[in-house]
Amino acid sequence: MAIKLPGMYGREVGEREGYRIVELFIGPQHPASGHMRMILYLDGDVVVKVDPDIGYVHRTIEKLSETREYVRVISLIERMTIIDACNVTLPYIEAVEKLLDVEPPPRAKYLRTILCEINRIASHLYGLGLGGIFLNHSTMYMWAFGDREVFLHLANMLTGARLTHTYSVFGGVRRDLPQGFKDEFAKAKRYMLKRLKEYDKIFYNNPVIRGRLENVGVLEKEQAISLGATGPNLRASGVYYDARLIGYAAYPDLDFRPVVGKHGDALERIWVRLREIEVSLDLIERALKELPEGPIINERFTKGIPPKVRHWFEKGFIKLPGGYVRLKTRAGEVITRAEMGHGEITYYLVSNGDIKPYRLRVVTPSARNVILFTVLPVGHTLMDFPAIYGSLDYFPPEADR
Amino acid sequence: MGEEKSSRPRINLIKAHIDAIGAALRRMTKPPMTLMFPDYEEAWPEGYRGFILYDYDTCIGCSLCAQICPARAIKMYRVPGDKKMRPGYNVGRCIFCGLCVDICPVDALSYSYVHDEVYSEVKPMNMDPIDWTLWSKRIKEKEKSAKPKLKPVIDEDVGLRYEVVKSVEGEK
Repeated sequence: MAIKLPGMYGREVGEREGYRIVELFIGPQHPASGHMRMILYLDGDVVVKVDPDIGYVHRTIEKLSETREYVRVISLIERMTIIDACNVTLPYIEAVEKLLDVEPPPRAKYLRTILCEINRIASHLYGLGLGGIFLNHSTMYMWAFGDREVFLHLANMLTGARLTHTYSVFGGVRRDLPQGFKDEFAKAKRYMLKRLKEYDKIFYNNPVIRGRLENVGVLEKEQAISLGATGPNLRASGVYYDARLIGYAAYPDLDFRPVVGKHGDALERIWVRLREIEVSLDLIERALKELPEGPIINERFTKGIPPKVRHWFEKGFIKLPGGYVRLKTRAGEVITRAEMGHGEITYYLVSNGDIKPYRLRVVTPSARNVILFTVLPVGHTLMDFPAIYGSLDYFPPEADR
Repeated sequence: MGEEKSSRPRINLIKAHIDAIGAALRRMTKPPMTLMFPDYEEAWPEGYRGFILYDYDTCIGCSLCAQICPARAIKMYRVPGDKKMRPGYNVGRCIFCGLCVDICPVDALSYSYVHDEVYSEVKPMNMDPIDWTLWSKRIKEKEKSAKPKLKPVIDEDVGLRYEVVKSVEGEK
C-alpha cells in the first residue's frame, strides 16, 4: 500500500516495535541547495535512518582535468563551487606551482588571501541565507543574499567577474588592487559589522530560530573527529582545527585565529559562520594594511612579454607569456590543502612531466560532510531535518564534482 | 540528551522578540538595494570581463587564444585570401574567463562591458573571424547605448547604492 504525495513517494519498508516504517524521498529537486536526494526512513514522525543519495550533479571534473593543459584546468575546477571560486582553485594553483618550482611574489599572496576571505564571507552569507529559507525565515534569506551582493561587488572590482574569478594563476594573480578598493572595503566592513548585529537579533537570538535550532543535530567532539567532519561544522563541535593554520598564502603573516564553538548543535554551526565573517573582515583589513609593494606575478612569466604590451603591467593587469599554455611540470606528486567556506579541500596532483595532469584527485569539504546526514537527523523529527540540512551548509555540486 | 547540552545562556524571550521585530522594522525605513534591471543597467567597474572583442587588423594569427581557451570557445579558421589562420568565437561557449585577452601578444583581443545578447538561433552565436570583427564593432556601439547606467557604490547604511552615471567611463 503506497502513499502517493505530490512530488514524494512513500512506501512501507518494514516494522519496528510494532510500528510501520515509511520510506520518504525528498528531492532531488527541492526548494533549497542543489540537486540531491534524501531517502528518509520514518517511524511515525521520527527519523530512524537517512540515506543521502548523491551524484545528481556529477560532472566528471577529475577525469576532464586529465584531458586539459594545466592552465585550462583552473576555470574547470572553479565550477565545483562557483560561490567560492578563489578558495577552491588556490590549492590546485599551489600544487602546480610546487611542481613548476615557482613561488608567487608576496603581493600576489596577499591579494589571493584578500579574495579568498571575500569569497568566504560571500559563501557563508549564501549558507546562512539558505539556512534561513530552510526554516522559512525569508527575511534572513533576503538579507544574506542582499549583503552577499556587497562582497560580490568587491570581488568584481578586484577581478572583473562576480563569481568565476579565475584570479589566481600559476606564479601570481591576474589583477592588481584597483583604485579605491581600500575605501570601498572600509565602508563594506563597517556596514557588515552593523549588519551582523542585526543578524544576531533577527536570526541567531530570535526565539523562533532558537526553538528550531537549539540542541538539534548535536555533533559531539569525538564523533565529529571520527566522522571526518570539516569546516565550520567541525569547529562548532569544539575542535580547534582550520586548514588556514597550515599557513598557505599570506595566512602565516596575518596572525589568524579560528572561531571555535563548543555546543556542536545546529545553532552553534550558524554562530560559527556568523563569527567567521567578522574574522574574515579583520583578516582582509589587516591584509590590506600590510599589503607589500612589488610585482603581482613571478618574474619567470614576465620575461618573455613583448614590449608592445608591457603597458598593461603599469595599469595593474598582467600579460601571460605564450609558453603559459603548454607549461611542463616536473614529474611528481603533491598534496595541498586549503580552507574553503564549507571546510577543508584537498588536492592530490600526480604529474608525469607532461603538459596535462596525470591524475587530479579532489576531496571537497561537502563530500566529507555528507556523512553527517546519516548521523545527525536520527532520533529527531522530520521537522528538524531541514533545520539540520540548513545548518550543515551542504553544497551538492561541490560534493559530486 | 538535550538537557545536559543546554548550557548556553538563556535569552529573554520578550526582549528577543521585540529586538527581532525592531531590526526588521528599522530596515524597512532604509531604501532597497535593488537594481531595476531592464530599465537600468549596471555600470561595470574598469576591467570588467564581458564579451571578447576582436580586431582583425592587429591580429597576427598566433593561435595562442585558441590554445588557452578553457571552453574551446575560440577556434582557428582559414579565411579565403588570407595566409594566416584567424580566430573565430563561439559566444555560447564563452565562460568570460578572459585568459585569451591576457595571453594575446598584440592586444588584438579586448574585453567589453556587455555580457548579454539575445539570439533566436544557435548558428549566429558561432562566428568566424570576419563575423567576429563585425560583431565586435556592433557590441562597441551597444556599449555606448542610451540606456541609463547605474554605478554601484558601497554605502555604510544601505549596503549598495546605485549612482547615476552618464555612460561607461574608462577606455581600454
